[in-house]
Parts: sequence; C-alpha cells; structure tokens
Amino acid sequence: MSFINRRDFIKLTGLSTVAFSGFVNMPQLIGKVTDEAMPLDLAVVQNSDPASLIRKAVEMLGGMSRFVKKGNTVLVKPNIGWDRAPEQAANTNPEVVAEVIRLCRKAGAAKVMVFDNPCNEARRCYRRSQIEEAAKAAGADVSFMYQQKYQKTKIPQAKMLTSWEIYRDALQADVMINVPIAKHHSLSRVTLGMKNLMGVIGGNRGALHNHFDVKIVDLNTLIKPQLTIIDAVRILLRNGPQGGNLNDVKTINTVIAGVDPVATDAFGATLFDLVPEKLGFLREAHARGLGEIDLSRLKIEHVNLAG
Amino acid sequence: MQLARRISQLLFLLFFLVLFFLAAYPYETGINVDLFLRSSPLIAIATFLATREIVASLLIGLTLLVISIFLGRYFCGWICPLGTSVDLFDRILGKLKRKDNAAVRRFRAWKFSILIIVLIAALFSLQFVWFFDPIVIMTRTMTTTIYPVTVFFIEGVLNLLLGIGIFQDSVFSVYDFLRRTILPIAPIFFQLSLIFGLIFLGLLLLNVFARRFWCRYLCPLGALFGFLSSFRLTRGIVVSDDFCIDCGKCQRSCKMDAINDDFRSYNPIECIECMTCIAVCPTDAISYQLKYRFGRERTDISKRRFLFSTAGGLLTLGLVKTAFPNKVSMGHVVRPPGSLPEADFLDRCVRCQQCVKICSSTGACLQPAWLESGWEGIWTPLVNARYGYCEYNCNLCGKVCPTGAIHDIELEQKKQLTMGTAYFDRSRCIPWYRNEDCLVCEEHCPLPDKAIKFDVREVRAQDGTQRVVKFPYVVESLCIGCGICVNKCPVEGNGGIFLTNAREQRWEEGVLLSKNNESSARIKF
Repeated sequence: MSFINRRDFIKLTGLSTVAFSGFVNMPQLIGKVTDEAMPLDLAVVQNSDPASLIRKAVEMLGGMSRFVKKGNTVLVKPNIGWDRAPEQAANTNPEVVAEVIRLCRKAGAAKVMVFDNPCNEARRCYRRSQIEEAAKAAGADVSFMYQQKYQKTKIPQAKMLTSWEIYRDALQADVMINVPIAKHHSLSRVTLGMKNLMGVIGGNRGALHNHFDVKIVDLNTLIKPQLTIIDAVRILLRNGPQGGNLNDVKTINTVIAGVDPVATDAFGATLFDLVPEKLGFLREAHARGLGEIDLSRLKIEHVNLAG
Repeated sequence: MQLARRISQLLFLLFFLVLFFLAAYPYETGINVDLFLRSSPLIAIATFLATREIVASLLIGLTLLVISIFLGRYFCGWICPLGTSVDLFDRILGKLKRKDNAAVRRFRAWKFSILIIVLIAALFSLQFVWFFDPIVIMTRTMTTTIYPVTVFFIEGVLNLLLGIGIFQDSVFSVYDFLRRTILPIAPIFFQLSLIFGLIFLGLLLLNVFARRFWCRYLCPLGALFGFLSSFRLTRGIVVSDDFCIDCGKCQRSCKMDAINDDFRSYNPIECIECMTCIAVCPTDAISYQLKYRFGRERTDISKRRFLFSTAGGLLTLGLVKTAFPNKVSMGHVVRPPGSLPEADFLDRCVRCQQCVKICSSTGACLQPAWLESGWEGIWTPLVNARYGYCEYNCNLCGKVCPTGAIHDIELEQKKQLTMGTAYFDRSRCIPWYRNEDCLVCEEHCPLPDKAIKFDVREVRAQDGTQRVVKFPYVVESLCIGCGICVNKCPVEGNGGIFLTNAREQRWEEGVLLSKNNESSARIKF
C-alpha cells in the first residue's frame, strides 16, 4: 500500500473539485462541454458610451437579475468623494452610475439608494460630480448621509479595525453594488473598489490610513458587495485621488465588472501598470481569503464594443 | 395705519430671514443677501470715514437716511429687524410695571454719545460701529446664535422621533427636506456664540426697564435717523387742540416716549412713526400729516456731552490701538481669501458674520475671532482649520461682504490666492514621529500639483521592524493655505500639520499683494 503524496493529494482535490462543480453545473454543461461553461470572473468591456459598457458587462456576468431580485433594496455605491467635475475623473462617471441604477430598477429593485460620505462638503460633491442629478433621473434615492445612521459595528474578522461606525443603510441593503472609479492614490498606489467602501463609514476616517492595508481589508471582511463595477471610462493617473489637472486624466472607455471584489481590484491595478501582487492591500486581502489576485487563475473576458 | 406698520415690520423681518437663509451654498439666486447691511447708513458713514472713500455699494444706506428728512425715524418703526424683534419680545413680556418714563428720559442722549464715539473712532481708523449697529447685531446673532440653536432643537425633535423607532422613513424624509431647505448638512458650531447670545438677550431684556429701551437710548443708527429728522420738513404727528382731552393715553402708549408732556407736541428725534398714538386716541385728535413744516428740534446733546463723547472715542481709539498684540496667535490668523491688507480690512470689516454664515454652509472654516488677531480684530472672521477648511472651489465669502473688506474675487483667481501656509509638526505627524504611513493630508490637498509631497524611505518603526514609509512635506511655493490638510489630519488636538499666515496674499486694487505686514496700530489723519 502506498501513502498518497502531497502532489497527488492536490491533484485529487483539484480533480474532485472540478468534477463536483461540473456536477453542480450539469444543466448548463449539457451540449457544450467547454471552458465557456465556467462562470466568468471578470467582464472587461471597452470602447463605447458608458451606458453601453455597463449594459454589456452586466449582461456578460449573467444579467442584473442574477444579483438583484424583485423587491430588493439595493445600494449603488459610487465614489462621490470630491468637489470635482466628471472630466476630472475624481468621482465615478455619472452615466455609469445612472445605467447601473436603471438596470437595478429593470431587475425589479424596490429601492435603489445612492450615497457617499465625501471628503469635500457633501452638496458640492453631489452636485459637481453630476451624480446626484443623473442618479435621481435614473430613479434612485439620493441622500446626504446622516450622523444618526452610523452604527458602531463589530467587525469579527478584523485584525485592527475591530469595530467602527458603519452606515446602517449599507448594512441593511439586500444588495450592494460597488461602483468605484479607478484612480491613482499616493498611499495605496491605486484606489478601486475595496477602498471605495470607506464611503459607507463615519468616524475619524483618516485613522484608516495608518496601517491602511490591514484596516481596509478588515472593513472588506464585513462589507461585501455582491457586484463590483469599476468605472475606467476616465482614469486618473497622477495627483489622485482628486486630481484637478486634465493632463493626469486618461480616457480609456473601459468598465470592469466582477463578483470577486479582490479580483476586480487586481485587474483594475493593471490599468495603472501595477502588479496586483505588489500592492499591499491586495496581498493582504488575498492572504485572508477574500478573493483572487492572480489574474492567470481568473476567467476574464474582454469585449471591444467598437468592433 | 398701525396695521400697515405691523405688516411692514413682519414683512421686513421675513425678508431679512429669507436673505439670511439665502446666504448659503450654492448662492446662485442673484439676490444680494447683504441688502439689509448695505441699507444701514451708519455702516455706510462709518466705513466712509474709516476708509476715506465712498464705497458705492453702501450708497443705498445714505439714500434711506435722506428720506428721514421727510419721514423721520420710519426705518426704526417700519423696517429695522432688530426693532421688530424688540417689539415682539415686548409682546412676550406682556404688561410690566415700569418706572415712569420721565425718570429714564435723560438717557436719551446716550445714543448720541455712542454715535459720536463710534464716528470719531472711525474717523481715526478704528472701526467699531459693528458693536452697536442694529442690522449687524441682528445678522451676527442670527448667524452665531439663533440659527444654530434653532437647528439644535429641530434636530433634537427629529432625533427624539427617530428614537421612537416607528415611522423612521417618514421622519427621515422630513429630515431630508429640511436639510435641503433650512438645516445644514453638517452640524455647525461657533466660537463666541454664547457671548453673542447673551448680548442679544441682554439687549432684549432692557425692555424690562422701558419699552424699546435699546432704540430710545442706545441705538446709534436710531440717533443718526433721529438727527436727520430733527430737521424734518414734514409735520408728522399732529394733535388737534380742539379734540384733545388731555387724557395722556398717547404718551403712555408711546413705545418711544416721544410725546411731550403737553400732549400737543412730540419729539421728532424720538418718534418712530409707529402710529400707535393715533390708534389709541379716544377722541381721534391725532393725525399724521406730510405737510411742509420746518422747526428745528434741539438734539439732547450738550456741548459738554459732545466733548466728552469725542474724548471717549479718542480714548477708545488709543486704548485699542495700543493694546498688546499677541504675536504668536496673530501669526496663525488666516483671513478669508480676497481680504484687503490687514489695516484696510479692519477699517471695513463690520463683524456682521455674513461671511461666516455662508462659509458655515460649505467649508465651515470661518469663525469670529476672539483675541487671536488682537483687540482691534475682535470678532473678525478668521480661518479655524481644525474646525473647517476653505473649499478649493468656493469664493462665496467675498460675495456677501457688505463693505468689501473681503473682495469678491473670481474663482479662478481665488484658487491661486495664497491665504497662508501649512507646516508639519514632526513631533505630532504620524509618519514623522511614529515611522508609520498616513498621508491623509496629501490625499486631500486640492491643488492639481499637490503642495504636499513625500519621500519614501526605509526606516525602523517603533516596534523595531524595518519598513518603507512615506514621509510628507509641504512645498511652500505651491501651498495656498486652504487648511484642508490641517482639517483632515487624523491626529486629535493639535494635528500633525498646522496653518499660519506666512506668505499670505491680500487683495489691493486688483493685484494680490504678498504679505502686508503694515501694523494695524496706525492712526489716520
């Protein structure tokens, strides 16, 4: 008799996992036994207007009805952090936000909420970003955040951020769709979906910058968006996260959507020629099992709508 | 007529409140919210004296003053929001047993003394009309006291309703509506609000001694209107000798104690044209006539009093100008963007707090000073960067300044204007004293080419481990002193970065002056 060695064990485990998942996916597998049947990790859509990019990306992931059920309360969380205009690429593109809201409404969401805890004064940000106007027109409830709705919340899996003031509406929403914009950031190199969650917390948020990599992952262990859509219609390459110089903005008309918030951020990092494995918060997130950062292990589909 | 007067009072008070609420971000209605302040002729004259300039925007006040040759102190009785507040407070007090009017009549001259003191001081470049001007008092008290207290209680009620737990959604929708109209988004607090509140309360409580005590005996604006109406060219209140039965009801009901003891004549310097006497007269003996008449009424100010008041004005001037300036705190005084050079700024600033009000609706950096900028700068607006910061895209403070102490500069120019400079306190800044990353300041720096940059170095942390840390520093030539870095610094108390007025630029005749260090302790001749 022989003991199975480590290599065999891994093979066996891998095989049985594949077999099992194949079994689970049996209905879809019938007829086309290819890797296409594997669920898509990331949808990367390029070269069209923001609304079309969003529609295509969400469709590739299985349509909005995969995430939003009839009667759900949905939080669409853009970045409205700065008193900056859309072309300055400091806030999420308003058309991107509007299209996500429209898709949620079409999928039967009872209520779509939009809010952010901005860095500049709230009304300025909501206004100049044009998100307030666009989101309202698309049928969302746009509100300024209330001090009363921040709840001291325990974060059980946290290493450092064991409890913090977290916005009640974010905790109670049936579905959360994170819609960050891809920007340069001096401390974390790049700000994408994981950091965008700082917009649903209160308190002395600057304190998260100290041991940022650990704390932002702590936050992400509690708040888990069902869908992350990175707005890379315009990206901010330098002087982030608020920019101000149009020379720092690059228009790449891209949208990245995925269910794994770490994977979407990992791909987002590559837009800035960064290696995901070299970014502290992504390494930390991966090490703690929040998601994948090795792009070669992800099923990524690129679509160029320009043809 | 009395009804018309009351309606006028309430409408003007309402108008005042509407303008008050309009002094908020985004300020796009095109209505000038400083209209009331600009219609105070006292502010106009004191500013003209102090600056030796005719400030065009204040001419509206002089126009209103000239009208009083025909209509006496109509402003006090029909328009002044402070007068209306005093009247309303009087209604709350109800009927009180007060001292006989005759006993307090001698105080009438006080308001002239105050007027003279204020104007003499202004003539030699010490502006403190703001302590007494009723429109300024109203604006200042509304901003720093009445509004925040009202907000506090409205939010208290809303919190109470939210605490009950049911109908939360509807309470929040009411809340949301209120926040989009009258409530601020972020809570507002003012240094000195307690002082301003007590002054206002004291002023109202003077009613206990006599109705409209403030207007009768203290108000220098009333004195100014009264001075002009001492030359009045119309008859005003006319008592018909045929009908008067000497009942004295008119005199007793007069808020201003303006009716003489013969019950046949009145003092036009005191009368505020409120028409109460006409309404109460049992025989309809009193009427109001605009027929020509000229008979100069003597003001209650003797030569002796005039000299004493002048001396008082000069003494105040001397005392304030030579009071000890605290150089440390003065180095931290950062003025609103577009402020004139300090001496000119102090000549013009009437401490109305209108800039503070509009700022509180957005960046919330402006606060009324206590002694930070010296005795002469008391209650002037200055930046408290730990409480708020100057929004990069905002130039609203200059838009609401009634006297031009803060110039209304173009937004693009404001973004270039240096208000001051930030400096790191390396004994407090997290990367510097603890060798750990932070960089919140750098993140918030709004300049397209950030004024805060950083070095990356490998260092030994406090726990003994080697790590790579980003050490921030200020690039002086880029910093505009907006204070957002100071405001957002996560270090509590004295942050890791602080603001001074080094390199500050002031506005003078279209150019931005770099730091104007001219002492404010000058005297003009």
